[in-house]
Amino acid sequence: MAVAVQGTSTATNLVAHLFRRAGFGAVPDQLAAASTAGYDATVSSLVSGLTAPDPGADAVPTPVFSIPVPAAQRRAMDLAARHALSAQLHHEFVELTTWWLGRMMATSNPLKEKLTFLLHGQFPTGISKVRYPAYMYGQNQLFRAQGSGDFDTLTQAVAADPAMLLWLDANSNKESDPNENFARELMERFTMGIGNYTQDDVRAAAYCFTGWRVDPKTGTFSIASRQHSTTPQTFLGVNGVNSGQQVIDLATHSHASSLFIPSRLWSFLAYPVMPSDPVVADLAPAYSADRNIGNLLTAIFQHPQFTESGSLQGLVKQPTEYVVGSLRALGVTPTDLAQTPAALVQALSGMGQVPFDPPSVGGWPQNSYWLSASAALARWKFAHGLTRKGDISLVVDASPTDRVDAAAALLAIPRWGPATSGALQRAANDPPTLVTLALVSPEFVAN
Amino acid sequence: MTGTTWPEHSRDEPAEATRNGNLDRRAFLGLAGGTAVLGALGVALGQRAFDALLGGAAAADGAMGSTAGSRLVLVTLYGGNDGLNTVIPYQDSAYAAARGSLAVDPTNVLQLSDGFGLHPGMPGFKKLWDAKELAIVQGVGFADPNYSHFESMDIWQSGVPGSPEPTGWLGRWLDGTRSSPLRAIALGPTVPTALSGEHVQAAAIPVGPLVLPGSALEQALYAAVARGDADDAALLAEAASSDRVLLELRQSLGPILDRAATSNPLHLSDESTEAAGAAANLANANGGGGQASDNVLAAQLSVVANLILAGATADVYSVELGGFDTHADQEPVQSTLLGQLDGAVTAFVDALRGTRHGSNTVVLVYTEFGRRLAANASAGTDHGWANVAFAAGPSVKGGFYGEPPSLTKLSEGNTVYTTDFRSLYATMLGGVLGTDPKPFLHGSFPQLDLV
Repeated sequence: MAVAVQGTSTATNLVAHLFRRAGFGAVPDQLAAASTAGYDATVSSLVSGLTAPDPGADAVPTPVFSIPVPAAQRRAMDLAARHALSAQLHHEFVELTTWWLGRMMATSNPLKEKLTFLLHGQFPTGISKVRYPAYMYGQNQLFRAQGSGDFDTLTQAVAADPAMLLWLDANSNKESDPNENFARELMERFTMGIGNYTQDDVRAAAYCFTGWRVDPKTGTFSIASRQHSTTPQTFLGVNGVNSGQQVIDLATHSHASSLFIPSRLWSFLAYPVMPSDPVVADLAPAYSADRNIGNLLTAIFQHPQFTESGSLQGLVKQPTEYVVGSLRALGVTPTDLAQTPAALVQALSGMGQVPFDPPSVGGWPQNSYWLSASAALARWKFAHGLTRKGDISLVVDASPTDRVDAAAALLAIPRWGPATSGALQRAANDPPTLVTLALVSPEFVAN
Repeated sequence: MTGTTWPEHSRDEPAEATRNGNLDRRAFLGLAGGTAVLGALGVALGQRAFDALLGGAAAADGAMGSTAGSRLVLVTLYGGNDGLNTVIPYQDSAYAAARGSLAVDPTNVLQLSDGFGLHPGMPGFKKLWDAKELAIVQGVGFADPNYSHFESMDIWQSGVPGSPEPTGWLGRWLDGTRSSPLRAIALGPTVPTALSGEHVQAAAIPVGPLVLPGSALEQALYAAVARGDADDAALLAEAASSDRVLLELRQSLGPILDRAATSNPLHLSDESTEAAGAAANLANANGGGGQASDNVLAAQLSVVANLILAGATADVYSVELGGFDTHADQEPVQSTLLGQLDGAVTAFVDALRGTRHGSNTVVLVYTEFGRRLAANASAGTDHGWANVAFAAGPSVKGGFYGEPPSLTKLSEGNTVYTTDFRSLYATMLGGVLGTDPKPFLHGSFPQLDLV
């Protein structure tokens, strides 16, 4: 079959770009249908999927997680029992990660899974401290269920969810000795950005969150009245603030947040910007009017600069995006994946990103961070293995002279540069090698 | 943070919100462990990297290169190691009073001098001390301390307190000396900020063999793709560049690492490297209990030792160990980790002592902050301020440096720093890397006479 990719229409390329950023890439049939429907209709369809059922992803079986064991009980265990528990939790962690990767691969509503992934980066929380996969699963479901609505509501829910409470030490925050950990990150990382609040605001907020508790066994949230300060605080210039809910409400409704949240989502979806960037100024008024993430996503995808060259070549795929995009393109199913779950986690680890395991509360850096030689080797090994297992029939079935274009179609790449194109041509008689090279090419890694 | 409070973390969770969270550091094999040894890659690759790394000589005899240069091995301990239970002021009554049951029994400390002793789990460091190969720098820190792991580590790695700077202190050195990325090597999938400059970033290598997948054709064509195009957008050019660095690393270091797969310079037990990642996870997840032989740091330093001994001429290496955030049940966790540090660094120095290429290697050990003097109610310690740092190596002038902080004149319950952390960096840049530190540290800081 002849696949005329070199010189495909601009419209098709823009829809392919949209699918890369708003999801994990389009497979050829999907791209063809979306191109026919048009860019605007595809945006609408992706955004409406945020609140729709997701039969594709929901077909991936949810793992069973063990009930968390309280610390006192854990400390009473002997070494063998501790090791057994540890092994069990690690096993559940791999299952959890595989489940989510499977959802990303199988999703019928790619933007919903993509937003869930981006929110994990916006509220980075890690298994290393939360410890129980059951709680990481709970937070993940929360992102999925509430991520596209009101950002204040989402932040309130995340703050009272066990994973975040454990991650940022809620249980040690008491009136007699406030812990500023959550208060600081709430403003710096989650809602406002650095430089928009004072240390006094951090201290005031910490008092308002005193007494927030999570039952380590059930995950139940409560506010322990004896440890909760009701002393009115001045927070962000507002007097009389004495609850954590008010603090979150004020932080998410601040002017700083109306710039910070659009800047974060634009950075995840188009190219990295500061809150002071003009493109953020375009997005902020509408966002500050409703704080609705779904509407903000529409505004981002419809912004002229989203489809300009700075955006088209503005992001390096995060390893999770790279792996899921590759697996989808080569027709690997979650069922296939479940055969060798640890291998995929290992591949991601070699590239520097394991979901549910961010390097710090700062989350994952972008772009250059992923471009190390070590990560390049991990991508290559992954791609080499994948092209021996995945479906590359689109390339195999093409005549040798069409295979370079067929690889572009397989991966929805608008064009190969001369260096890549020349190398791929030389691999025309060796389709697995050709597709491996396509998967490690700068054109696929950075777009 | 300048307030009157500081984080007291969860009582029942040994908090670990920092980099060491990676759950599987063994993993670099990917879906397919390629086994082809590179043969046909001469195409497209000049001798540049090979020359830069090996002084132009053949890699076969492990004795190439010119004279032994000084090398810096940066050991980053993530989580905030408790320095007061590492270099222990065991004769100071304020120590015993504040630490209570967490105070190390004076009869168990490994005595140094001046009323200080090492944690009992560090017999190797004691041996290095006795051989005058271990420098202990007291009271290291910076003004306006920050109790956040993230921000404190950012300050340490950038070398710029106060105003955030995206580049690292060694990254600026790479920039300023217009170095090849291969002049500094980080072990692991990504490059820490410390080694990231604006223009040059250290090369990262996996902790293990550096073997490319695929046939000779695939490898040759990979090199062709990695050439990139002159009009590539910035990120595409950077991606192609990292691919070329990989090929240069393979060509220059691969043969050494291939041989290293069967050599064992640190005399690690067989299961060490294999089980290291898993064991660290166990230790993290359990709050202790990993086996002493399961040493992730030793696995990294083993690779570094092989490279140095073979004459690789990178000047800087970066390795790391995490899990030091001991808010609860500190002793078993810290004991295990200090044992790993002790075993790995001691074996590393032993492997390099008296060798042509290794004898001028300096190991610098640091962490993002010290911990509070008083133990908390969970038999742990909370985030603090001043701390100790170590420099170890055959050419190091052993002994104490810097003023030990007072245990009675505290700030917010913490010992106050006496040695600006940039003095350590100035010492490394000046004394080890032989350059003027000033431009890379944005100022002058007294160098310590320890190398």
